[in-house]
Amino acid sequence: MTSPARHDLDQLLAAWAQPRRLPDAEAERIRQAIVPVVPTLEATWWSEFNSKISTAIARATATPVPALAALQ
Amino acid sequence: MTTSRDDATVFTRLFDQHRHAVHAYFLGRVADPELARDLVQETFLRAWRRLPEVGPLPDERQRAWIFTVARNLAIDSYRAGAARQAAEAALRRDAATLETTVAGPHAHAELGERLAQLDAAIRDLPEEQRVILSMATAGGLTSRQIGQALGEPAGTVRYRLSQARKQLAAALDLEDGA
Repeated sequence: MTSPARHDLDQLLAAWAQPRRLPDAEAERIRQAIVPVVPTLEATWWSEFNSKISTAIARATATPVPALAALQ
Repeated sequence: MTTSRDDATVFTRLFDQHRHAVHAYFLGRVADPELARDLVQETFLRAWRRLPEVGPLPDERQRAWIFTVARNLAIDSYRAGAARQAAEAALRRDAATLETTVAGPHAHAELGERLAQLDAAIRDLPEEQRVILSMATAGGLTSRQIGQALGEPAGTVRYRLSQARKQLAAALDLEDGA
């Protein structure tokens, strides 16, 4: 087994550098502090939007009840 | 600035591409990890604000732009005295920190001791060598990439890296294989 004392310079430098790298969690904290949250849309938003439009059109174009009564 | 998902995607790519290098640069300049992180955040905040200009650049020119900002921030930080004070504070607490975070169990005590020697030797390097060494080891950059970032020829970077390695090898009584 190789003694730690015999680690060559490259190995020692790699061991020195490893804990000094920016941790992913810290990087993500920094990124989130910079980039405002972008609102995301639900996957069903388009079908829900279409449904609401269809309902609104149907209501707007339906014959009013008093008009139906007058016709009878 | 109106944020879109495209902006966030472009920024995230830029951030992931350069964050390790920028962090390693500041570690080499200011020694103190907390100050280095603050300076990383400020550097990328400026990149975010100029994203329409920086985002479309190719990697090499993006790196040059980002490191121009980073160099200016490091200079401002030194002028404000923050970096100097932080570096001195980091030096003062260095021995104790290394003892607890690196040495650990008895089996690793010898490696921990060697790393403490290496860290002290790195701190004794001239700043220009320390920054390059940090970018090469902690940042994982090639000499060419470091040269692009610092505005130096790759040959100069290689020479300084070689000088740094010789000084470290001498300090640790090692053979430098470089």
